[in-house]
Amino acid sequence: MISQIGSIAISLAGGLIFSSFIFLCFYKIRNDKNYLDISERSIIATCFCIFLAFFCLLNELLISNFNLQYVAQYTSYETPTFYKVTALWAGQAGSLLFWSFITSLFTIIYIFKTLKVMENLKFNSYFILTFIFSFFIILSSFIANPFEPVSSDIVVQNGNGLNPLLQNFFMAIHPPILYVGFTGSTIIFVMAMAASISKNVSFDWVRSIRRWSLIVWTFLSAGIILGGYWAYNELGWGGYWAWDPVENSSLMPWLTLTAFIHSSMIQEKRGMLKKWNILLATSTYLLVVLGTFITRSGVISSVHSFTAENLGPLFFSFLSILILYTLFWFLRRKSYLETDDKIDSFTSREGGFLYNNLILILMCFTIMWGTLFPILSEAWDGEKIYVGQSYFNQLNVPIGLVLLFLMGIGPLLSWKSTSYKVLRKNFILPMSISFVAGLVYFIFSVDYNIYVLVAIMGVAFTLSSILGEYYKSLKKFRKRNSNIFISTYKMFMSNRHQNGGYLVHIGIVLLFVGFIGRAFESEKEFSLSPGEQIYFNNYIFKLNSIKSEARDNHYAFMSDIDVIDDKNELLTNLKPEKRIYFYWNSDPEKRQPHSELDIHSTIQKDVYSIFSAYDAEKNLGYFKIMINPLVNWVWIGGILMVIGSLFAFWPNRLRR
Amino acid sequence: MNKVSTSIFLVFILIVGWIVYLTNIKQDDSLTMRYYSVQELVNKQSDISNIKLGGNIKPNSIEISEDDQLEAYFYVYQNQDSVKVYYYGIRPDLFTDDAEVVVSGSFSNNLITAKELQTKCASRYEGDLKNVEKI
Repeated sequence: MISQIGSIAISLAGGLIFSSFIFLCFYKIRNDKNYLDISERSIIATCFCIFLAFFCLLNELLISNFNLQYVAQYTSYETPTFYKVTALWAGQAGSLLFWSFITSLFTIIYIFKTLKVMENLKFNSYFILTFIFSFFIILSSFIANPFEPVSSDIVVQNGNGLNPLLQNFFMAIHPPILYVGFTGSTIIFVMAMAASISKNVSFDWVRSIRRWSLIVWTFLSAGIILGGYWAYNELGWGGYWAWDPVENSSLMPWLTLTAFIHSSMIQEKRGMLKKWNILLATSTYLLVVLGTFITRSGVISSVHSFTAENLGPLFFSFLSILILYTLFWFLRRKSYLETDDKIDSFTSREGGFLYNNLILILMCFTIMWGTLFPILSEAWDGEKIYVGQSYFNQLNVPIGLVLLFLMGIGPLLSWKSTSYKVLRKNFILPMSISFVAGLVYFIFSVDYNIYVLVAIMGVAFTLSSILGEYYKSLKKFRKRNSNIFISTYKMFMSNRHQNGGYLVHIGIVLLFVGFIGRAFESEKEFSLSPGEQIYFNNYIFKLNSIKSEARDNHYAFMSDIDVIDDKNELLTNLKPEKRIYFYWNSDPEKRQPHSELDIHSTIQKDVYSIFSAYDAEKNLGYFKIMINPLVNWVWIGGILMVIGSLFAFWPNRLRR
Repeated sequence: MNKVSTSIFLVFILIVGWIVYLTNIKQDDSLTMRYYSVQELVNKQSDISNIKLGGNIKPNSIEISEDDQLEAYFYVYQNQDSVKVYYYGIRPDLFTDDAEVVVSGSFSNNLITAKELQTKCASRYEGDLKNVEKI
């Protein structure tokens, strides 16, 4: 019954969005505002129908209605309630409905919050939203309907259940957070297009779209970092980023959005770069759609496996229409978006932002090129080429290092132009600190690496530059208040926007600290019997025992390894496990092995252990140990980025 | 030319240079690898030092050495053709019959010696329903 309601709700949403389109046409022909209002209500009603369908699916997952194909595929009676909820986005059909659900939430906020004050954007916003909604509703109705019943000639006794790898808290929350970021970019696209088509690229518009961008950026960043955290802690290859096409698809819109957040500041301050900003705002969403096309079409080989239904041609058509529409209006509004004001000097704050934009776009283009190269090459001469991680690392590392320095240079420059005297005064301290840091590395390093040297200098330079800016602001507040805590608090609250931005930059610097650690990683694969030990990277790994036990939903082989440091003291005890899920299944193919890692994690380094195989006859365990320095700084940096961004986003009480 | 124009010109030159470089990555073996199909390898007589290949593991073809569990031989198939692969190291958890794999390494004497072995990530996990009863 509930599933029928869900199915009807999706169909109703389809009808409503079609009526919205009809009323928009009437409004255009007769210029009667009533039609626009009806269209608005149709869109709101569409959103509510999608909410209803979403909650119907949630209900069916919770009550384990295995008459539905989707419910039977992703849950079982044994699936814990939390993972029944997360099964909403575990598969194609559910994730598409979830996508529409978040878009609907954002649309409601956009209509009631943004369009209430920017009425001029209504018609074009509704027109574009109607098109986007129509596409996703068609997908959910005809191509990937989550309410599709199972074939009538079978009875499902129990569902398949969720893959054990996905039964992890961070994996459960990583996709929805990323989805919020992806779908949020819809509103940025709609706002940018509507403003340029209706010639309303105003100061209020910039401020409003920047706020939207910040919130979307926060979710995108959090989603990307969480995905890395899950991969590192669950997948057992010891890394958090592999430059896989699916990962790249999330990074590309993040880069253009980051560029937009910076360049829109120039528009806000000086009214410049309108054209550029429109391009960045629209391309963010276009890259999201491109990413979805890559993820759901299978045109590019990826370690992320793809779904049964091929949505590639549909997403390709959707993307093509959006690109043509964007280009058409961009060219038509080119002269309107032209600005007279020009940049006076490149040693200015806006010059710094421009360089930053250039670097971010260069990085985005390089990643896009590497990601799409296999298809482009195949189309060009029929040769299928694989672009390896080395491409992305070798090309992006130098670009990233320039970006790292730019983050430190930006705050030291003044708006319009910076005199030589000011330049010298501002740069002398960060440059000295950077030089000393580099020298210390150079003297004490065993294996000298040019990238590490530059990265250490960059981290020192940027960190000292930002902390120096904080210190300068704090000094002003300390003159008025002697209490250090109160003045620090007031300093932070006085300009949330800028201080939040600096916090984000410190977060990114800490990410770089984590990236530096990758240059010093080491690993070893070995086999041990209980009582034996091995020496690796100044540690002794001693296997005490291997035990086994049957648990609720798996069978576990549990190892017990002592890690002894160079002072002959026990550093930690590691207990990586080899688990066999569905071990009771008589068909060995249906059993699923899973390595449960154990990581001894400190701020300096992680000792990462994997129990990869067990030979019961010889009582021999096969292990992999990795020493990963500075990994925790990646997560700390990620958290700081999100906190900083939220801090910048939060409305400024004083100004309000 | 004033300073601003000079900067723009330099940046333009850099971008053009970068794009020219990017269009030639195919020539650089350290950055890219040729993707082969199993069919292509079946008829290949010569050795290939840098190879990437995707396909499925042929059912019942996985042989794990009794002396060392890290040593494995298996066949990767596409349609009717298959090719033998040798891999030494920890195998991914999803490495099983019919699993979709991507191997990279070298090809010689009809054998791929894989340096890397990846199975497809489970983040989109779809399969036939398991516990069903036909009416």
